[in-house]
Amino acid sequence: MDMSASMVTSYHVSVPQFNPNKARLRWKEKRSGSVRCCDTTRAGELRARKEKNYYELLGVSVDANVQEIKQSYRNLQKKHHPDIAGHQGHEYTLKLNEAYKVLMREDLRKDYDASFGRMRMQFGRNASGLGYSSWKGPLRPEALFVDENACIGCRECVQHASNTFVMDEAMGCARVKVQYGDSDQNIEVSVDSCPVNCIHWVDREELAVLEFLIQPQPVKGYGIFGGGWERPANVFMAAKAFNKQLKEQTEAEYKQRNGQSTVEEETPAQAEARANASMEINMGRFSGIWKFFEQVFHSNMWNSE
Amino acid sequence: MDEPAYTVVSDSETTGEEKSSSAFPEIAIGIDIGTSQCSIAIWNGSQVELLKNTRNQKMMRSYVTFKDEVPSGGVSNQLSHEHEILSGAAIFNMKRLIGRVDTDPIVHASKILPFLVQTLDIGVRPFIAALVNNVWRSTTPEEVLAIFLVELRAMAEMQLKRPIRNVVLTIPVSFSRFQLTRIERACAMAGLHVLRLMPEPTAVALLYAQQQQLTVHENMGSGSEKIALIFNMGAGYCDVALSATAGGVSQIKALAGSAIGGEDLLQNMMRHLLPDFENRFSNHGMNEIKSMGLLRVATQDAIHKLTTQTDVQIDVNLGNGSKVSKLVNREEFEEVNQKIFEKCENLIIQCLHDAKVEIDDITDVILVGGCSYIPKLRNLVMGICKKEELYNVINPLEAAVYGAALEGAVASGISDPFGNLDLLTIQVTPLGIGIRADGNNFVPIIPRNTTMPARKDLVFTTVRDNQIDALVTVYEGEGEKVEENHLLGYFKITGIPPAPKGVPEINVCMDIDASNVLRVLAGVILPGCPHPAIPVMEIRLPTVDDGHGWCAEALYRTYGSTLDLETVQKKI
Repeated sequence: MDMSASMVTSYHVSVPQFNPNKARLRWKEKRSGSVRCCDTTRAGELRARKEKNYYELLGVSVDANVQEIKQSYRNLQKKHHPDIAGHQGHEYTLKLNEAYKVLMREDLRKDYDASFGRMRMQFGRNASGLGYSSWKGPLRPEALFVDENACIGCRECVQHASNTFVMDEAMGCARVKVQYGDSDQNIEVSVDSCPVNCIHWVDREELAVLEFLIQPQPVKGYGIFGGGWERPANVFMAAKAFNKQLKEQTEAEYKQRNGQSTVEEETPAQAEARANASMEINMGRFSGIWKFFEQVFHSNMWNSE
Repeated sequence: MDEPAYTVVSDSETTGEEKSSSAFPEIAIGIDIGTSQCSIAIWNGSQVELLKNTRNQKMMRSYVTFKDEVPSGGVSNQLSHEHEILSGAAIFNMKRLIGRVDTDPIVHASKILPFLVQTLDIGVRPFIAALVNNVWRSTTPEEVLAIFLVELRAMAEMQLKRPIRNVVLTIPVSFSRFQLTRIERACAMAGLHVLRLMPEPTAVALLYAQQQQLTVHENMGSGSEKIALIFNMGAGYCDVALSATAGGVSQIKALAGSAIGGEDLLQNMMRHLLPDFENRFSNHGMNEIKSMGLLRVATQDAIHKLTTQTDVQIDVNLGNGSKVSKLVNREEFEEVNQKIFEKCENLIIQCLHDAKVEIDDITDVILVGGCSYIPKLRNLVMGICKKEELYNVINPLEAAVYGAALEGAVASGISDPFGNLDLLTIQVTPLGIGIRADGNNFVPIIPRNTTMPARKDLVFTTVRDNQIDALVTVYEGEGEKVEENHLLGYFKITGIPPAPKGVPEINVCMDIDASNVLRVLAGVILPGCPHPAIPVMEIRLPTVDDGHGWCAEALYRTYGSTLDLETVQKKI
C-alpha cells in the first residue's frame, strides 16, 4: 500500500508536454533558469491549487445539495469549458468533471467526504489549523460555540465577556476566540444575554469540526458577479454527518491496519506521513491519473529550472 | 516575439483546436450531411440562417453524378427527374459507406444500389464505381463527399462573400473514430477545417437549450433543469440522446446509436414487394439498374404516402414483362419492418438506462430526422416515454443543422449581446475506448458516456518473466472480445526492465479533449523505483489506415501472446 503511494507521489520525470499549452511553454522559456524565486512561487501556487478539494473546486459548501452542485458545475463549465476558454480550459474542465462525478454520486461522495474529513482532522490535531478558538487553562469537556448562521451581531456577548468572544466585523457576527477566557460567571451572563440563543455548549470533541464547518467557504464568482461566501445552513447536522463518516472510515482503517500488524512504534511525523499517504491513495481512487500526471506537469516545470 | 516564427501542424488531417487570433474570429458554418439530404447554416450575427442554393432549396439531395466530364453534386445540379440519381451514374448514400470495410453488413446491403459496390470480403475498403458512358469508373466515398463539400463551400462563399474554412459537421452517434477520420479527410480534400464533429442529436439538444433559454428570458422564470430525450432517425442512421438542460448549458447524459434508417425500411419494403429482387439485380446490367430504380422510386413514394394514408396502391412496370401491382396498408409496412422498430426501441431503452433517468423526469421528447414522420415511430417513442405529445417547436429536418451552426458560433468564440449564444454543450463519448489485455479481451479505459473532456488511466502488467516488450492495441466499441470492436491503432512499449511477470506497472492513460482528439500515454514503472523506467510514450489516435481489418490479425499471427498485457487487480 505504502509502496504504491510513494511511487505515485515521487514520480519525477520530464515527458513531452502532454497537451501543449502555448502560453505556458512560452512562460517556461522566458523564466528558465533566470528567476528562481518566481519559479518557486509558481510551483507553490500550483501545489496549493492541486490541494483544492472538490467542494472548493465547485465552489459549494460541504453540505450542498445536488441542485446546488449542478448549478455551480454548469456555471463553471460555461466559464472554463474548452469550447469557451480554448485549450487552457482542458485541465480545469477535467477536474471539474471528476469533482462533479464524485459529488453527484451518493456512494462516491460519502467515500470522498470520509477521506477528506480525515485530512482536515489531521490538520486540526497537528497544526491546530482546523479550529479557530484556543483554550485558556485546562481542557474541559464542554466548549463554547457560536452558531454564526443565527447570530445577529448584537455584541451582547462581547460586552459581557470580551476575553472569550470577539466580533468579526467583516462577517457581522460574534465568534469564540478563547475558550473560558473570562470567569465562568461572565460567560454565563453572556450566554444568557444572547437574544437569539446562538451560543451553544458543545462537546469538546465536536468543537473542531463545528468551527471548521462554520467557516464560510468562498464561492466561485461567475461572470461579472462576485463570488460571495457559503456555509452549511445547519452546522450541527452537517457536523453529525461529518463525524459519522469519519468514524466509519477510521474503524475500517483500524481493522485493515491490524490485519497488516505493524509492530514498530511510530513517531508522530511518521504517523502523519502514513495517514497522508493512505489518504492520497483514497483520493487517488477517484482522481486517478490526475495526481500522476499533475506530478508529471509539475516536475516538468521544476525540471525546467 | 510572442508568436513563434513558424508552426508545424500535425501531419494528420485535422489540426485540432485553432483559436483564431484575430479580433474578428471567423464564424464556423454548420453542415448537416445527411445520408439523403444535406443542409448548411450559419450564425448571421443575430440568429441562425439556413443558406439556400440557386434553386432556392434549403435541403439539398446528397449525391454526386459523374455523368459529364466534371462531376456535379446535389447542390448545383438540376435534376431532370428522380431517376437520374438512380441511373448508376450518381453515387449517393456515401454516409453509409464511408470508412467501412467490405465485410461490413451495411456495405453488403448497399450492393443493391444502382451504382457499383463490389466486395471481396477480406476486410479492405469496398470498390465503388459510377457508370459513365457504359464504363464503371471507380471512386471512393471520401472523394464523393469531398466533391459535394466543395460545392457546398462554393455556394456558401458566394453568398457570404468571404472564404470559408472552419466547419462544424454533424455525425451519427455510431460512427467509429476511424470513420470520423474519413470525414475529416473528405473535409481536408475540400479545403475545410473541422472545428467540431457533433453527434446529430447533441446538435438538436443545443438548439433545444437555446430555445429554453429564450423562454426563460421572456418569462423571467427560474432556469430549472429540463430533461429532453432526442430521437433522430434519417435515411441512414438512428441516434438517441438524453440531455439535461439549464441556463443554456446542454449536458448530454447518454448517447446511443445504430446504422439503421430509412434505407433499411425501404429495402425491406422492396423485398416485400418483389421477394427475389436481390438476385434479379446482382449483375448490374443496364436494364436491371433501370427496373430497380423504378421499383425504388415507387416504394419510396408509397412509404411517404403511408405516413398520412392507411393504405396505398403500388403499380409499377419494371420492364421485361415483370410488373408489381399491390395494395399495401400501413400494418403491412409496420410488420415488414418490425425488427427495425424493435431496434429503435432498444436504443431508447439503452439510452435511458445509461443516463440513469426515470421516464417520469423527462420534460420533452423531441423527434427529428426524415423518419420522424412515420406514425409507428412517433407512437413508439411517445409510448416508451409516456408522453401524450411531442415537442413541436422544432423543425425535424432543420434542427441538426441549426444546432451545428450554433456550436460553430460558440466554438469560434462569438458572443451575442442579447445572450442568444450564451450556450454550451457538454458532450459524452459515444463509444468506449480501451486496449486488448487478459488474452483476447477488450478492457475499456474510457467507458462510453464519459463526460468530455475526459482523462482516465488503468494499470497493466506483463504476462511473462523478463518480458521487455509489450504491445498496446487500442480499440473502440462495446464488445467484450477485441474482434467485436473497431481497431484504432497499436504501438509497442520497448525496453521494459527485465522483471518477473506481474511486477512492472504499465500505466495506460487516455485523454480526449473537447474537440474529440484522442491521445494515449503509456509509462512503465517498477515498484520501489521513483522514476519511470523508460520515457513515457504519447500517441495520437487513430493511426490505422484503409484495409486495417488485417492489421490486428497480422500482429497476433506474428507475435502470438509474447507481447501481451494483463490488468492489475486493485490493491486496495
